[in-house]
Order: sequence, then structure tokens, then C-alpha cells
Amino acid sequence: MFRRLLIANRAEVAVRIARTCRSLGIETVGVYSEADAGASWLDAFDRAVCIGPGHAGRSYLAQEALLQAALQEECQALHPGWGFLAENALFATRVEQLGIAWVGPTPRAIRLMGDKALARETMAAVGLTVIPGSHGVLSSANEARRAADEIGYPVLLKAKAGGGGRGMRLGRDAAELAVAFEEASQEAASAFGDAGLYLEKFIAPGRHIEFQVLGDAYGAAIHLGERECSVQRRHQKLVEEAPSQAVDDATRERLGAQIAEAVAGLRYRGVGTMELLRAASGELFFMEMNTRLQVEHPVTEAITGIDLVEQQLRVAAGQPLALRQEDVRFTGHAVEARINAEDPERDFQPAPGRIEELSFPADRGPGHVRVDTHVTAPYDVPPFYDSLIAKVIASADTREDALDTLRDCLAGARVVGVPTTISAHLKVLDDSRFRSGDYDTGLIDAIGLATAVEE
Amino acid sequence: MARIALHPLGSQLATEQAQTNRDAVEPLERRLAERRAAVRSGWGEKYVERVHRKGKLTSNERIERIVDPGTETLAVGTLVNDEKTFGPENRTSPGAGVITVFGVVHGRWTMIIANDNTVASGSWWPRTPEKIQRAQEMALRLRLPVIYLVDSSGLFLPEQAHTFPGRTGAGAIFTMNSRLSAAGVPQIAGVFGDCIAGGGYMPIISDVVYMTEQAYMVIAGAALIKGGKSQQVTSLDIGGPDVHVHLSSCADHRVPDDETCVARLRDEVASLPSSAVGYYRRGAEPAPPRFASSDIAGIFPLDHRHLYDMRQVVARLVDDSLFREVLPHVGREMLCGVARVSGLWIGLIANNPELIDHPEHAGEKRPGGILYREGIAKISQFARTCGDDGIPLVWLQDISGFDIGAEAEKQGLLGYGSSLIYTNSTTSVPTLTVLLRKASGAGYYAMAGMPYEPVIQLATPITRLAVMEGRTLAIGAYRTRLDDSFNIVADSEEERERIERGMKAVEDQITADMDPHCAARQMDVDEVVTLGELRRWLCAFGEMAYQSIGYRTIRNPRIWSLHDLLLLADEPH
Repeated sequence: MFRRLLIANRAEVAVRIARTCRSLGIETVGVYSEADAGASWLDAFDRAVCIGPGHAGRSYLAQEALLQAALQEECQALHPGWGFLAENALFATRVEQLGIAWVGPTPRAIRLMGDKALARETMAAVGLTVIPGSHGVLSSANEARRAADEIGYPVLLKAKAGGGGRGMRLGRDAAELAVAFEEASQEAASAFGDAGLYLEKFIAPGRHIEFQVLGDAYGAAIHLGERECSVQRRHQKLVEEAPSQAVDDATRERLGAQIAEAVAGLRYRGVGTMELLRAASGELFFMEMNTRLQVEHPVTEAITGIDLVEQQLRVAAGQPLALRQEDVRFTGHAVEARINAEDPERDFQPAPGRIEELSFPADRGPGHVRVDTHVTAPYDVPPFYDSLIAKVIASADTREDALDTLRDCLAGARVVGVPTTISAHLKVLDDSRFRSGDYDTGLIDAIGLATAVEE
Repeated sequence: MARIALHPLGSQLATEQAQTNRDAVEPLERRLAERRAAVRSGWGEKYVERVHRKGKLTSNERIERIVDPGTETLAVGTLVNDEKTFGPENRTSPGAGVITVFGVVHGRWTMIIANDNTVASGSWWPRTPEKIQRAQEMALRLRLPVIYLVDSSGLFLPEQAHTFPGRTGAGAIFTMNSRLSAAGVPQIAGVFGDCIAGGGYMPIISDVVYMTEQAYMVIAGAALIKGGKSQQVTSLDIGGPDVHVHLSSCADHRVPDDETCVARLRDEVASLPSSAVGYYRRGAEPAPPRFASSDIAGIFPLDHRHLYDMRQVVARLVDDSLFREVLPHVGREMLCGVARVSGLWIGLIANNPELIDHPEHAGEKRPGGILYREGIAKISQFARTCGDDGIPLVWLQDISGFDIGAEAEKQGLLGYGSSLIYTNSTTSVPTLTVLLRKASGAGYYAMAGMPYEPVIQLATPITRLAVMEGRTLAIGAYRTRLDDSFNIVADSEEERERIERGMKAVEDQITADMDPHCAARQMDVDEVVTLGELRRWLCAFGEMAYQSIGYRTIRNPRIWSLHDLLLLADEPH
């Protein structure tokens, strides 16, 4: 195993990674920007290095500074966490060429899956069902129109380099599509430096279901079941649970095996997430693959008992996968709430400020509560970064009990100083549609929590 | 541990300037596309139909079927003889009547040499033998299997005096056949039709010879056999597969038709050792540049005297736009370093045309794009290091020439330049030379120009290849009529005008000769390619250079002598 590892990230995820490193006896080197200097979460590392000013472009995204820190501290491995440079193939290449192990998939896999149009074709080629759509990148609005005529309206234009809903536009008819094409390609060009678009049949309502996968450097791969992430506002997840109420055991086994085989075929090394869309008809379509650890990974950890960060580190150190598919057992139910410093009353605007108090009672309800946070009050939420301040994960034998546990915990939570998403979570947790398990990505709109999801 | 870390290079171009630059190159690229299309169509549709009527495929159709589906071939010598005419009837010979392309067959790069059966039944014109020999030489240097698609009625006789007797006459093709064979380079031949005299010899030295039912190979055709006419003897009777496959053993297999023949040739290649490219990538995967190679045309200013940043060109040629510059602080007029193309290590040596600090006179600048002492020493040492380590070299020329004047002579640039020439003449690594723009005088020589035997030399539509620029030559020719600042000294207005006209005529003529099409026509460059196509060529060159094992040094990067150079230069990382 590695002697020393650099965590090229900040806050909650950095602390999460450090926890597993400590249990495996790996020294950790944390990094921080000037805006994070003096933060209490830096105590989670054996040592920490300042890498630049608050603006992420000059610190957490500054490849040169991170590589320099890793070399100077003689790190043998680098964990990118999620966000920032976690899915940057160039950075992965640069880490590896220094002989530093990249805790993530190969640059080739990152690049392949980062090109959403190419990823679609790759997955179709290995036998996964993809949403009906264009073949490869559309060269013009006319080609988009031809493709749309073939598959039928409404269609969704997506950026090939995309993510986070940027460069995404709905076309309900030919006229709207023509306008949408220009807008989306401009937005994609400015957001990703790549105007390439592809097109898919727009499926709504739908459920966002994702499979956790794990592969090693030798071509072995397994799946760790699914998570349901349909509770979203503006394509961003709010509540995640596992297992999904829309996936039965037989489907999980069949689809999981198919996905694991596809991943093994790619010789995929590390953890990854296969995102699927479930249509009202029950059909499941491949959407894209995320080549990193996910924010919501704890719900999978809760029902499988597997530490995903530990698996990442073992695979990155060249160890073959010790787990076989039959070793993976799914027990009980888990649900996660992302607590952001955001104002639900103001359309979820980020609300940085000083947290005077933060506590989540872990002894309510029938189940078990895990709180992943980097915050120890008093704590100043810097304005530069993601507004996530904590994740609360409740698990229990049944879904009912897990939801109750989470609701009771959040109801008893005390966060003083900044508005948070907790009130929104409580509305979701009390909503009958959510409680019934029969819900889709329209839930937040239906509850009336947000202005209409951008289309 | 010694390790070569590559660093990001390049940035987005200023949109407006790039568009202006692209617009200026566009007509030159259009002209190239037109000439290529003209060569491709041979003698025209009538001759294509004639081939099809015989139940045969055209040479281009054979090539399309022999390479792996979805792969593109890279042609060399496309413009040889372009727009020239021969013989009493002023015949053209598109592509000199032979198609020579690099093509991928079952994942292996091969050299395919095909007589063009839509141009005078594949006859050999002046320069046809040279073009074939050049292709054979490339294959020999890179140890690429050679596939001959033979369909040739022999020399175009009205021009035989130019193709028969000399050092590069048709017979030298067979010398190359023999050398390839002696070096263990596989040669595979398919004979599809007429194969008379020289055409008959071409396939015989190949390891395997296939003949279709329409093929014959003869030292002399039936027309020259005494009494042949009355006995109605045909060439097929005396040299067809009945004779050569079953009686003479001059060929190995007979196949019914073109399609089958092509399929069998593919099978032969499949049975050869596969490419070592994957092995030499050492775990790296090919990655496109982060800046599109189609943007290179946006870098070069319309006026060849204006400056630009060569690093922007390199950034658009190499994988991930990652580059490790070697010795960046000395001889800044030159840019050299290592990078990957198609996941494979190459060394790059390029001119830096920007103004650079004068090394001896603090505060002064001097123009780049010229060979000064430090730059020559730098690239000589870098080229030797690549030679030691087996790193294929790519030269990107935009060179105005050597530094001149008293100081340069005193410094002994003749000597430093000769050292570079010695290095280039004796290196064992495969070399690709690209005449990006200016390729002038001794600079063209010193930077591995054609006389120094690069495996391939490419020009672009903006290449200017000559001993010197036309303006400079005009100054040289009229020096007695010019003052110290090269202004005309004349007694009368009339005389001044006469001198001006004379200088202009010299300049125009030189400028016309600098045309890359002219160089390509007479085989001074192997191919004219667009700036956007360069990346493909570099990748292919890398893959070809690493395809075959055992014939050249390829040191693993752990023990590169490049590490020693970097350590001594105090640049270990």
C-alpha cells in the first residue's frame, strides 16, 4: 500500500478520504487555498500544503501547484476526490507521468467517458441500451432536425463535453429545435470550449437511477447495486437512496451483471457510476458514466458494508479486486440528504457566511445515522466553492425506518448562521409521493420547492 | 528516478487574427485539393470504364479494398510530374502513373506501390522509376512490408532515354527489390494484368507472387516474337498463370479475379508479425492535442516576414498538447524537446521565429528563425541524444538560413554547421522533415533537408524552398548597382527603372520556383500536405517508426541518455 498520499481536494471529501487513509496506515497530505487557511478540517491530515489563492482556478484547479505539492511532499499517490480535477484526463496523465499513482481510472477511460457522445456509442457497442438519439456529434442544425424527425419529438440536445445541465436544451418541435441548437452550441462552447452537441429522445417523467461499479487493473469488475437520485433541483441531486424502489432484485441482478461485464470489457480501473434513466414504461436507458467517487457513495457503503475509498486505493495500488460479485450483499435501506448552505426560499441561492452552530442528533429514530462533514462551528463558509456543508446518511432495516431516522435527525438538527436545505429535505421526507416510493425527477416541482427546472 | 515530465503547451488563438490567417491559406489549400483530385482521376472516366469492362478494378479501387476499413491512406509523390507533358502527343502522366501510399492492413502500416491502370495502362514515365524507388526506400528505412499491385505495360517508350539507362533508371527498382529482400523486409506482389519487361521483373523478387487469370509476366510481349502473329500467340499464352504458376514457378498462386487477389494479399499481411506500437507506448494511450490541429493555419501570418509563436504549432501536433522542452534557456532561436504522438515518444526540433535576447549584447534583440552558434550546438546535441536513445526525430523548418557576417565567421559557424550536418548524415533514427514555411539555403540543409535523407520530407501549401528569398538573390545579382543599404545607385531615372525591373524579374522568378508544387513535381519533397493534416502524418510516422522490432536502437526511457543531458544542464525535471 502507499506510504503517503496527496488529497487534491478540499473540505468534506478530503476529510472523508483521509479517514480511510488513516485506517489503512497511509499518511495524508492535504492541500488548501488561502481562503481555507486555518480551517479546522485541515487537522484531518498528517500535514497540509497551501497551494494558492482562494479562487479555485489558482488553487484547487491549479495543476502545476498540486503536482509540485505532491513531488515536494514525496507522495506516491494522489486522490482527486470529486469535482475540481477528478475527471480531467490531462491531469491524470500528468500525475501518472511523474510516477505518482492516480487514484482513479486511466486517462483513456476518463477521456472516453468524458466525451458523452462517444460514451453513448461505446456503451451501445457493449450491449447496453441507450436512449434513442443521434449517431455521434451533430454537424449542423439540419442534421439535428433530420435526427429528430427520425426519432420523434420532443428531443433533448446535450453537449458532448457536458455536465451539470449546461449546453442542454429541449426541442419540442422543429422550430424550437433550430433555436435550441444555436443556443446550446454557444453555451457548450463557452462552458466547455467545445461546441459539439448530440441529441436524445426527451424522456419525461423519468427516474434517475445509477449503478455503482468497481473494476481492477486486470479486467475484473463487479457492481455494488444501484442508487436512486431522482430528487433533483436544476439537475443537482438533493436526496439519494439505495436501493431504488423502482428496481427489483431480478432487474438488479440482470442489469448489474450486464453493466459489470461492460465495465470489465473497458478494463476499467477504480470506482465509477453508470447513470441510467428509467422511463415511465419501466425501460432503463444508459445516459453516461462518471469516472470518479460520487458524493452519494455513502448510501452504497451503508447497504453493502464496503468502504469504497478503500477499494479505490487498493485498486490504484495495483491490487486485484478481492471482492467477487457473490461477496456483495445488500442489507437494509439507506438515504442521504445533502446539506448545503443555500436558501430554499431564494431559489436555492448559495448563502456563504459564518456557521455559529452545527449539530445533528444521531440518536433519534430506529436506524443508524452517519454524518460526513468537515465543519466544526464556528466555521466560515468561503464564497468560492461548492456550498455543501454536510451529508447526513440514515440507514435501517426498512425504507420506512431509514426515512424516519433521517427526518427525525434533520428535525432535531441545529444549524445557526446560514440558511440550509434542511427545510426542503423535511418537506421531501414528509411528502406522500416520496414516502410511497413512486416518484420521479419532477418531485421537487410537484412539491413546489423550486422554480421550474430549466429546460 | 530520472523521469521526463511533459508540460502543457499552447493557448487559444486570437479569433480575428486566426481567421485572417486562415483566409490567406485557404486558396493555396484549395489549389492543392484540386491538383490532388486531378491526379486521382487519372486519364479520366473513359479509362476507368475500360478497366471495369475487362472485369478488373482500378488501382485506386484495389488500394481501397486492401487497407483496413475506415482507415485512411497517406500518399507520397502525388504531385510528381503534375502538369508536365511528355512525348510527341503531349501526354500527361498523373502521379507519374504510379500510386504510392502508406496504408494500414490488419493493423500494420505497409507501403503499397500500385501502377495506375487508368494512366496509359500503368506505363512507366520519366520519374516513375524514381517515385517507386523512393517508396521502396521509405519502406526499407522503416522496415514496412511492401505490397506491389502490378499492372504495367512497361516503359512509355517515346521517353525511354530518360527512364532506362541512368543510376535511377527502371533497373534500380529491382536493386531496391533486392535490398529490401536482403534486409528481410517482406514484399508481397499481386499481378493483375500486363507485366511486360521491367513490369515483369518488379514482382519476381517478392516473397510471394499472386497472379489473376488476366495477368501475365513476360520479358517481351507477343508482339516481339517472330512468327507470333501468324500463330496467333498471345502474351497470356506465353506468360500467364498456366506458365508461371505451374511450369516456371516464377509466381506462387493463381486467383480468379482482382477481389480474390486483394483478399489473399491481405491474408499474407495478417500472417506477418503484428505491430510493436502498443508495446512501445509503454502504457500511454494516444490522446488528441487539446488545441485542434485544424487551427494551425490560423497561426501563420500572411506576410512571411511577420513573427508568430512556434510553440502554438507544436501544441497542435502532439498528444494532449504536452511537451518537454530541452535546454530552453540557451539558443532560444531553436525549440527542441520531446513529446508523444499516438502515445509514442518523438523528438521535435523547430525554429523559433520570434525576436530573442542577444546572448552577448545585453538589452539587444535579434531575429529568430536563423541558425546562430548556440542554437546549432543545442540542436546538434539534442539530435545526437535522440540518435543514442532511438527517439524518432521530427524537424519543423521555418528557417531563413545561417547567421552571416564577420562575427559569425569568427565564431566558426561553418564548423558548427558541419557538425550538425555530420550528425544528421549519420543518425540511425527515423527522421521526418517538415518544411513548414521557409526552407532557405544552408539552413534547409542543416535542419535535415532532403539531401540529408529524412525518411519522409513534407511541404505545406505555404512552404518557400530555395537557396534564398527572391529579394535577397536580386540584391546579390545587382550588388554593383546598390549602395550599403541596398538602395539603387543610378545616373538616370531610366537606368533606375531598368535596374528595378531587372531586380523584380529575378525576384519573381525565384518566388515562382519556391512554389511547393514545383518542388513536389520534381520530387524535392515527398508530398505537399495541408497544415491541418500534419498531426495525422506525425502520428503515422511515429507508428511506422515503432512498428518493427530488432533493426534499430530503441532504449527504454529509464536509461535514456537524455537524462544525462538534462542533469548536466541542471534541468532534471
